[in-house]
Amino acid sequence: MKRILSSVTDGKGFDIGLVLLPLAFLFIMSGLPLVYNVVMSLQEVDMFSLGSFSRPFVGLKNYVDLFSQPETRPILLNTALFVSASIAGQFVIGFGLALFFWMNFPGASWLRGLFLVSWVMPGLVVGAIWNWILSGDFGVLNFLLREMGVTDGNIFWRSDPNYSLWAVIIANIWLGTSFNMILLSVGLSGIPKDLFEAAELDGANAFQRFWTITLPMMRSTIGAIIALGLIFTLQQFDLFAAITSGGPNNASNVTQYWAWDLSFRQYDFAKGATISVIMIVFVMLASVVYVRSTRHEVRG
Amino acid sequence: MTLQIELNGVNKYYGAFHALKDINLAIEEGTFVALVGPSGCGKSTLLRSLAGLEKITTGEMKIAGQLMNKVPPRKRDVAMVFQSYALYPHMTVEENLTYSLRIRGVKKAEARKAAEAVAATTGLSHLMKRYPRELSGGQRQRVAMSRAIIRHPKAFLFDEPLSNLDAALRVHMRKEIRALHDRLHSTSVYVTHDQIEAMTMADHVVVMRDGVIEQQGRPLDLYDRPANRFVAGFIGSPAMNFIPGIVGEGGADVILDFGRTRARLALAVRLAPGLGVTVGLRPEHVRIVAAGEGAFDIPVGVVESTGSATYVASATQPELTVVETGRGDVRSGDVIGLAINPKQLHLFDAETGQRIEGGRLHNDGRFAPLAAPHPAAATFSPS
Repeated sequence: MKRILSSVTDGKGFDIGLVLLPLAFLFIMSGLPLVYNVVMSLQEVDMFSLGSFSRPFVGLKNYVDLFSQPETRPILLNTALFVSASIAGQFVIGFGLALFFWMNFPGASWLRGLFLVSWVMPGLVVGAIWNWILSGDFGVLNFLLREMGVTDGNIFWRSDPNYSLWAVIIANIWLGTSFNMILLSVGLSGIPKDLFEAAELDGANAFQRFWTITLPMMRSTIGAIIALGLIFTLQQFDLFAAITSGGPNNASNVTQYWAWDLSFRQYDFAKGATISVIMIVFVMLASVVYVRSTRHEVRG
Repeated sequence: MTLQIELNGVNKYYGAFHALKDINLAIEEGTFVALVGPSGCGKSTLLRSLAGLEKITTGEMKIAGQLMNKVPPRKRDVAMVFQSYALYPHMTVEENLTYSLRIRGVKKAEARKAAEAVAATTGLSHLMKRYPRELSGGQRQRVAMSRAIIRHPKAFLFDEPLSNLDAALRVHMRKEIRALHDRLHSTSVYVTHDQIEAMTMADHVVVMRDGVIEQQGRPLDLYDRPANRFVAGFIGSPAMNFIPGIVGEGGADVILDFGRTRARLALAVRLAPGLGVTVGLRPEHVRIVAAGEGAFDIPVGVVESTGSATYVASATQPELTVVETGRGDVRSGDVIGLAINPKQLHLFDAETGQRIEGGRLHNDGRFAPLAAPHPAAATFSPS
């Protein structure tokens, strides 16, 4: 007993303790709910069996039912569009800003700091602000588009099925751009300056330097940011709740909002769990990309 | 021989900081030039200005007869070897070598052939598929040089390329770089803070301090006739001894001030009596003899031996170091005599630090009559 005690305070026992503590935390807080979710997606769950763990096992019936529902396909497509458009927008604008602030003009770091404001704001607040901006009758976005001659009349961003998903995408791009910019800025500043000087002396113009030095040197950062972007956009819930609530008629509904809607508004817990499991697969793929790209850091 | 690099009245300011002060430099084709000086002297700034990575504020800069002031680096056709080597980490050795060719649109097969030819001469052939991170320091250095060679540039610029290598490899690469220069008949500008590198490698050494060229010339000329006290102290290892002194009444000898003791030393030239001078004496130009048999006697302080040479430092203020080949039997506390050839003395004006040569001040390769920089100068007698 004494030996075990002393090994905990000073020795191998201490190391094991250090590892076990976070592992236990991870297992209880993340592992168990995950497993519980997967199990639930294979069971028949209703309000009465919610309290017990032993529920009728139905195999893949929930999955089959889900894919036979008419709204499933459009919602999956919406999710794909939401994720890809958001990531593309956040990345392109974020990279552009990062390159812009990289030029290090007077006040560059100060301005870059200001951009972080969007990242600090809660999603619900961002949603509320964008509700005003996107408002059909008196929104400032419609005003701008009209005055610039892009549109003739008002676009009802939040209630027009053609635009409602894009309304959330625009808000989400605004929300995520600064995060992209910061991570990409860090990546850019990690590239040794003399590489660009060497390339310049080797005859490369600015465009060639970007393609042959900047982009390849940023590969791991870009891989990481796109993987993180995928995870963050699949998590994006607040903006849907605040701006469109998935409507009208599921036109802007996505899996993460739908899972919540099924579970906690329609009390169809099994279906909600089923959608979550499908999402887990995609998040896992993104995580693998993230881990791999941060492991293969190329630094000379 | 034509002039390959020409600098006329080049100045460079960083805000209010005057980094390069009126630099004039003419480098002939095929010359190996070393820019040497302590850190912060402007040598790297000068090199980067040649590359176009820094813009000069005023003056004229020509490469191969063409005015370069407004030409961007990529159009100057000069190659630079960086202190960090600046190899492209995401490219293999072969891709590193062919980068400049590919940028210029040379065909792949042709670029590969050129890379193989260069790699064969620099001993990199077996490393072509490796990435820079898989190479040793010396190999990276070779890649950096090969990357420069493959372009056949108008000039090679080296920015302290050996400072990241260990001592043995440095000596080896020194010879290799010089041999390469001779084989390619190229024009090279080499920046270093190590005067040994400058002395051994260069045809022409430029000593800089605080943005000013203190002296330039052939390495041995700089050693034999340093223009001022700074150059005298910078060139040569171990460093020159400097002892303050006053020219004696007859003008034919100098009284050296060793703090508590004085010593009288004959001069090879006649100077104005009473003139304050700094006497420069290279440790290797002094011979140790028995007490009383040399020019003067001195007590011995610290004795250090490397096996091949013995360093004897005097127990005086300022210290006088003597280097003797072999192993002397001198011990700390002894009194020894020093044999000194008056012709091997270097005399500098005590106030300005300029070289005094036969009654005149020596300044940047030109002889100029002395125009009263010192009160005692009025009584100068021309030798």
